[in-house]
Amino acid sequence: MKKIISLLLAMVMALSLCTGAFATGLEGTYDVKIWVAEKMVDLTKRQIEAYNASNTDGIVINATVEAVSEAEAATQMVTDVEAGADLFCFAQDQFARLVSAEALAQLGVGASEIVRTNNDAGVVAAATAGEAIYAYPLTSDNGYFMYYDKTVVPEEDVDSLEAIIADCEKAGKYFAFEMNTSAWYLASFFFATGCVSEWTTDDDGKFISVHDTFDSPAGLIAVKGMKKLVDSKYHLSSSSGSEFASGAGVVVTGTWDYTTVSEILGDNMGVADLPSFEVDGVSYHLGSFNGCKLLGVKPQTNPVKGAVLHRLAQYLTGEECQMQRFEENAWGPSNLAVQASEAVQANPGLAALYAQNAYSIPQGQIHGSWWDVAKVIGDDVKAAQDEAGLQAALDNYRDKIASLFNLDTSALLFVGAWNGWNNADENDTYYLKNGSVTLDVPESDYMGGRIVTPGEWDTDKGFAQVTDGVELVKDLGADNGDNNIVFAEAGNYTVTWDGTSITIVKN
Amino acid sequence: MKTLTDLEYLKLSKGQRLVHRICSFFASIPTGLKNLVLSIGRGIGKAAVGIKDEFADLWNTFKNGDTPTRVSYLIMGFGNLCRGQILRGLLFLLFEIVFIAYMALSGWYWLSMLPSLGKVGPVKEYNVIYDTYVTTYHDNSFKILLYGVLTIFFIIAFIYTWRVNIRQNKLAMQILRSGKKLKSGKDDLRSLVDDQFHKTLLALPLTGILIFTVLPIVFMVLVAFTNYDGNHDGYINNLFSWVGLDNFNTMLSWSGGGVNYSATFGEVLTWTLIWAFFATFTNYFLGMLVAMLINKKGVRIKKLWRTVLVLTIAVPQFISLLYVSKMFAKNGIINGALMDLGWITQALPFWEDPTWARITVIVINIWIGIPYLMLISTGILMNIPQDLYESSRIDGANAWQQYTKITLPYMLFVTGPYLLTSFTGNMNNFNVIYLLTGGAPTNAAASGAAGAVGYTDLLITWLFKITTGADAQYYLASVVGIMVFVVVAVISLVVYRLLPSNRNEEDFQ
Amino acid sequence: MSQANASQSLKRHMGLKASQRISNTTAHIVLVIISVIWLIPFVCILLQSFRVESTYPVGYVKPEKWGLDNYRNLFNTDFPRWYVNTLVMALCTAALQTVIVLCMSYTLSRFRFKMRKPLMQFMLILGMFPGMLTMIILYRVLKDLGMTQANSVPGLILVYVASSGMGYYVSKGFFDTISKSLDEAARMDGATRFQVLKKIILPLSKPIVIYTVLTAFMGPWGDFVFARYIAFGTSSGMNVAVGLYNWLNRDQIANNYTMFCAGGVLVAIPVTILFMCLQKYYVEGVTGGAVKG
Repeated sequence: MKKIISLLLAMVMALSLCTGAFATGLEGTYDVKIWVAEKMVDLTKRQIEAYNASNTDGIVINATVEAVSEAEAATQMVTDVEAGADLFCFAQDQFARLVSAEALAQLGVGASEIVRTNNDAGVVAAATAGEAIYAYPLTSDNGYFMYYDKTVVPEEDVDSLEAIIADCEKAGKYFAFEMNTSAWYLASFFFATGCVSEWTTDDDGKFISVHDTFDSPAGLIAVKGMKKLVDSKYHLSSSSGSEFASGAGVVVTGTWDYTTVSEILGDNMGVADLPSFEVDGVSYHLGSFNGCKLLGVKPQTNPVKGAVLHRLAQYLTGEECQMQRFEENAWGPSNLAVQASEAVQANPGLAALYAQNAYSIPQGQIHGSWWDVAKVIGDDVKAAQDEAGLQAALDNYRDKIASLFNLDTSALLFVGAWNGWNNADENDTYYLKNGSVTLDVPESDYMGGRIVTPGEWDTDKGFAQVTDGVELVKDLGADNGDNNIVFAEAGNYTVTWDGTSITIVKN
Repeated sequence: MKTLTDLEYLKLSKGQRLVHRICSFFASIPTGLKNLVLSIGRGIGKAAVGIKDEFADLWNTFKNGDTPTRVSYLIMGFGNLCRGQILRGLLFLLFEIVFIAYMALSGWYWLSMLPSLGKVGPVKEYNVIYDTYVTTYHDNSFKILLYGVLTIFFIIAFIYTWRVNIRQNKLAMQILRSGKKLKSGKDDLRSLVDDQFHKTLLALPLTGILIFTVLPIVFMVLVAFTNYDGNHDGYINNLFSWVGLDNFNTMLSWSGGGVNYSATFGEVLTWTLIWAFFATFTNYFLGMLVAMLINKKGVRIKKLWRTVLVLTIAVPQFISLLYVSKMFAKNGIINGALMDLGWITQALPFWEDPTWARITVIVINIWIGIPYLMLISTGILMNIPQDLYESSRIDGANAWQQYTKITLPYMLFVTGPYLLTSFTGNMNNFNVIYLLTGGAPTNAAASGAAGAVGYTDLLITWLFKITTGADAQYYLASVVGIMVFVVVAVISLVVYRLLPSNRNEEDFQ
Repeated sequence: MSQANASQSLKRHMGLKASQRISNTTAHIVLVIISVIWLIPFVCILLQSFRVESTYPVGYVKPEKWGLDNYRNLFNTDFPRWYVNTLVMALCTAALQTVIVLCMSYTLSRFRFKMRKPLMQFMLILGMFPGMLTMIILYRVLKDLGMTQANSVPGLILVYVASSGMGYYVSKGFFDTISKSLDEAARMDGATRFQVLKKIILPLSKPIVIYTVLTAFMGPWGDFVFARYIAFGTSSGMNVAVGLYNWLNRDQIANNYTMFCAGGVLVAIPVTILFMCLQKYYVEGVTGGAVKG
């Protein structure tokens, strides 16, 4: 089957190269329902009119454009795909959920190529599950940075979290940084200290493994920094730019609040990348998620309508439309050509975002439940009395992450001391579900570990289950009571667990 | 447990009586259980006898019946038509035709798919010509379950009607044999507004309840035994199927690594009960107090005070509560005002601290709830005979004594059932919690794979969070829903037994 | 009666009067405080709706610049549509639901038939299931009937009305308080059951009819969960609650907050006026019914 498909793909590519346009007979009138953010309704209507006037295929789009916020669109689509919009905008964090609910139509060969060539790499990754692209990048500005009131925070303090907190407390103004209700913002502290939470999916959007290091010494430093913020009397858990009108001196939010904040603060508005915090004399610059907004096409039963919708989506996410969105609402483009334009480079909000990008990580794909699990950390850290309490918050988080996979009986935890017996820490723990995990094993005294069911540490799978690649593993014989897998030498390995046996390949 | 005679019981003081009632309630549980088992046994026995009788009757009617009666076993209404009861006959016949047509056209399909809930899922294919992926959808588990249940309802209705049809034939034969006349269509119509008037009146409401309340509830209970969720929506992505008691095992098991649904359930249930208790009784007593204050002799412009209070009922809650929620925010106007007055130096954590948040929702609920109680108790207080107060005043009772000896007992007696319904109503008070806090602040210990659960989350808001959460775990929500039902039912039963005003409805006639 | 006794009683009388005056003054003070607390949020919403210097939430109550812009702007949005939708729903629901509830409660109060008790117990048990769950399925049923999205108005009316029979409790309690001997006398005179209902019971039931109409009318204005589900992102099928609630979304609040307040005021006005006018009946209905059932 796979062979046939790849053959077909090759044919398509050849065809498309020869003829330029290979699908004909698209002319006709199509009823299309579109969901976009409220601010974009008018613009989208105009853009569709422009498309109707300009396209050469004789396509007439009879569009119904409704204002459905990006957050809600995904929830609605998952509830009832059939009744959902044909084209809809959504934020990147909803991507995996939509793919696994089959609410997104996979892009064809030509469309995928267009997306890959015209957009920045981080954004393309955001629209990709496994190897397949499922959505069209619309913006590349879903990140956050800091807005501040220049009368509250002097310019020289903007680099230090502690100084900003002190300034806010002195002025009796709030430091708004959403720590209690959103994992998206709170991850900032963890990224500052180099923690990661990397998830991988298969082609269908199902999560197969995670490498999460929030529960680690670095994570403990992160929550210590977070504690400084949430313990302040003047910390406000909010990310709304309009808080400046209700007593805020600093708000961490994104470009979408630019107009609101500049209206409220006028000349006193300052924008900057996020500050650094200090723990034990070391300074850590706050990180952030660097995400995007996507435009999805609902799976179609009719190939003709499908093709038309994909064309329309390509137009709406194309250079011209992204430029219009930037000009009218300052939405940061994902299109490389638009990104390079002078106007975009000169925009102060985007400039701050791009400055923060040096410290941000691409959002990639994250398990839908992670947002719920991780957002608890904020309240947990606030409630913690001492370092043990902070550690408990991280432990709790770790357990919950493990449980996301534990729900599935095939879920397993790959735990070990790849880095040496005495260096064993959470950095070496991976969760995987009927899949593989790639390990970088440095030279050390031990280089071993095993696969267990999370929560039930005794049901080990290890040396005894290795079928392929036994030669890469030391046979410790009777000394291996725990059934550990101990690598013979350092290197990069791919370990695959298929439910009954373990395969090890050296890369 | 010693059974007291009436006289002994009356000798007890109030408190002792209550204790006695509670004790005897618990003492009666074993006997109650025994009786329940016995009565179920008896019920089954009775049902068996009933079914036997039914079949015997069917057989006898057939054996002794004339030709129209016998034909009616196959063609409903035939007997009525032969005997001149055209209206009835046609209705029976029509029902049979509709039923057979429905079963042949779709009912049979739904019924046959019910055990598997669908066999073929959607298929995604690549279309080379248009360079797009197209999906072909096939079976729909959701519809199969829904229409399967509906078809079962329909079949039951058909069997019942068929039985009525037979019984009418038997009756008609008896009536004719005794030389009387059968009812004509006109008589039937007339009786629908007279002795059978209740059937006319109930037809529409009960149909509505059957389709829009009973059917959905049956469906949701069944969902608890499937794996229906966002990734198994039964049509678009994956079909769902029966999983037996798995979901109940997940929910009730105490072990299970990081996820511990039963602990979450316990935490949320505890707060739900605490909340319902305080929400009910604070409103009850304060509402009564305000009503007494307004009704007090000498208080003027009574109507104005009532009108002001009643505003919270009249203005939709999504407006008022959303605004109130913002007022109590850390940088909201309440904190702002208190700081301006110099009463506090830092914002009070109304929504940030678990205990503060819990107290705040209860207090704000008073704001919402007092007016209802004020209205209700106004009416009741007016009904208390004034001479009771007069005579007690002559006996030298002060206001407090009057309240505890006359007003309160009277109120409690009359509003007992209302208290119970408002308690269970508060357990399911979605609006107040959802609009005020949305469940915040999050409860780390209780949160898990079923979403982030907060300290102020009630079972009902938790349930809502599950259905709208990342994975839309409807099956889990359904299990929670069933548990809510069990809790409410148990509380109702227990409290109802303890109510002083557990009385016969005929008393008021 | 002796002189001394009389003067003593007079003194006591005057003392009573003085203490009564004090307690009355206290009562009035308490009532004023309560009223202020009750009114603050409403006054604030009203003030916010007249604020024109900015559209986002602010930390002060009194507008710096007053105006009707927010109300005017409402007419450039879908708000009028939502308002009409809701009004239609409220009126239809009020009419139909009243009929259903009265049928149900009258029957259960007045007739004695075999299935009566089991029926009432069955409905009591049904009422213990959290209704939240049935939303999903009701949505699907309405979708199959073509009554979601743009057509959600009839769909919502259908659902509100169809399940309203469950709320028979209060009005049954009211009917229970009307003496049965009236019916019996009329029946003796040869009136049918229907005539009894029309000629005797209904005229006596004004409070409960008005109570039922009022509660049914108020329902659709505040439904922001189920109605949102049914409208499914289609603006033309929303009621005011769903539409206004959307304005508080993160990406809309900064532009629409004061308009939300203005919309809220417009929603509150008809319901409040109606409620004030009919308050008396509401009290009679609820005390006659809720308590004695």
